[in-house]
Amino acid sequence: MRRNIIGGVMPVIEDESGNVLPSAGDIPADSEKTLFGKYEVGKLLGYGAFAKVYHGRDVRTGQSVAIKSVSKQKVLKGGLTAHVKREISIMRRMRHQHIVRLLEVMATKTKIYFVLEFAKGGELFAKVAKGRFSEDLSRRYFQQLIAAIGYCHSHGVFHRDLKPENLLLDENWDLKVTDFGLSAVKDQIRADGLLHTLCGTPAYVAPEILAKKGYDGAKVDVWSCGVILYVLNAGFLPFNDPNLMVMYRKIYKGEFRCPKWTSPDLKRFLSRLLDTNPDTRITVDEMVNDPWFKKGYKEIKFHSEDFEIKDNGDSGKFLNAFDIISFSSGIDLSGLFNQPEVSAVGERFLSAESPERVIGKVEEVAKAEGLTVTRKKDLGVKLEGQNGHFVALVEVHRLTEKLVVVEVKRRESEAGPSREIWKDKLRPQLSSIVFTNRNGKLRVGKKGSGLSAFFLRPIIFHY
Amino acid sequence: MGCFTSKNIWRTQGYEEPRVLAAETPFTVSEVEALYELFKKLSSSIIDDGLIHKEELQLALFRNRNKENLFADRIFDLFDLKRNGVIEFGEFVRSLSIFHPNAPITDKIACKLKEMVLALLHESDLILSDDVVEMIVDKTFKEADTKGDGRIDQEEWKDFVLKNPSLIKNMTLPYLKDITLAFPSFVVSSEVEDSEM
Repeated sequence: MRRNIIGGVMPVIEDESGNVLPSAGDIPADSEKTLFGKYEVGKLLGYGAFAKVYHGRDVRTGQSVAIKSVSKQKVLKGGLTAHVKREISIMRRMRHQHIVRLLEVMATKTKIYFVLEFAKGGELFAKVAKGRFSEDLSRRYFQQLIAAIGYCHSHGVFHRDLKPENLLLDENWDLKVTDFGLSAVKDQIRADGLLHTLCGTPAYVAPEILAKKGYDGAKVDVWSCGVILYVLNAGFLPFNDPNLMVMYRKIYKGEFRCPKWTSPDLKRFLSRLLDTNPDTRITVDEMVNDPWFKKGYKEIKFHSEDFEIKDNGDSGKFLNAFDIISFSSGIDLSGLFNQPEVSAVGERFLSAESPERVIGKVEEVAKAEGLTVTRKKDLGVKLEGQNGHFVALVEVHRLTEKLVVVEVKRRESEAGPSREIWKDKLRPQLSSIVFTNRNGKLRVGKKGSGLSAFFLRPIIFHY
Repeated sequence: MGCFTSKNIWRTQGYEEPRVLAAETPFTVSEVEALYELFKKLSSSIIDDGLIHKEELQLALFRNRNKENLFADRIFDLFDLKRNGVIEFGEFVRSLSIFHPNAPITDKIACKLKEMVLALLHESDLILSDDVVEMIVDKTFKEADTKGDGRIDQEEWKDFVLKNPSLIKNMTLPYLKDITLAFPSFVVSSEVEDSEM
């Protein structure tokens, strides 16, 4: 089993009064000490076999961070170099309100430092240890957990080591999933479409892993989520025994009993999560329609985070030279870097209609197709559907007294027919507002040469 | 033996110590080391000599090394501070530093953007007619010239930049904020002494 380098949760070191003890050894934690002049290093929060975790503060912004210091020697000795690099690249892709974010990595000759988002509320596990949660609170945390896991899965990442110790809380007592030390990416899947490494924590491990067969990473995560939900509601594990082999047998058979306070809806939901047959086990997409899960549920947008219309102030302003330059796909240095993880496809077209008329038409067409429409002041609209698989932003910019530029950005999703919704349904119905001259050609100025090529072809936006 | 030689090449032509570059730019030492990983990748894509040639920059920007591209030429000139036809590591870092999200706005202003506006508009995907381009440029510079004296001073330029997010967007690369996550190989090879951090 591989070790967790970045995200592992460490025990907090406290004195009898519950005060966190100051750090020792690894990074001197006096107020003078800064890491590369960027982070003030504070108290030691915890430690494990591989790392020590400190509280830190960004000198420039004052933001609290967690700084995990790992011995490079231990990484090299354990043959974990490739693993560390892979883990960094996975964590880089994970940007979600319920996932602890890796902000940056730093290094010296002897140490690697992981700078992580700081979860002020500590471990969810510590709260459960003090007593089980009410059904409503269990549901709230479970919904947040599924939001995070659904997001991971939609990005081709499976956690594979979900347990309460890996669930932290922020200052608002909202959930943050951490520890992607064992996570798998889609490119590790064999020809049979399954993963084949044995890992995870015994009590939370799915039966198909114990059977040492190939397994589906998404199904395994759902099982672990089921065990977590059981623990939140009951205060103890569904499959437990001092004898490991007996515990494995219970897991394999799916033998568990719900405590008497468990509602019938939750019992039924748990039996779908802890289904020993991965093929019939409930999926993340199916959970959304479950009566127990649905209660008080706000739609989880697995795909549309950080895909918003930016309010740049005065929307009635005409585009100036710099705005038009910024539209150009050539004025872009992103090619120097790795292709961004989050990209959207889009296009622009000219319209001789007023911005209000354009937005009105877009709203009308989108609503007719059953999409959720959110107006963003008079800047534009956000269109959503297919449980977050289809997201499009439509923004209108004034070019001249008579013309506007309509910019459409849409998230291309592997799952869900997002391309078809735009291409076959929305776009044809918007043709009436596209500006053309009598010959059907776009024309601006005396030469009027190249605008049609620009405004009517797909472009790539990078975020 | 071959490995040893190639490592020497990396460390000779235009290589500068990360801590020196970090002291002169908004980058941390680790960010400079991560940029070195990127630099190695770019500078060995066609000619493996530890320098970025124009074709290598064009290949990185547009996945194409042959197509004539005026924008690539301008970017190359922006990076080639010594005007010797190649981009060395130090030049690469210093040039990228003006695109850093934390770089002072005045640094971004100092970049010769004003002179590039007309040319860039002509080179942009729009291919607008000359009269429209001139109209838009005139209107833009009138908007910036708040004192109405026919010239744009530093103060006016700074105000204009602050009011025009698209201008800063052109001059900012969000990728630089998480450069250490994009090129993490440096964590293993870092030469920074613990005392230097």
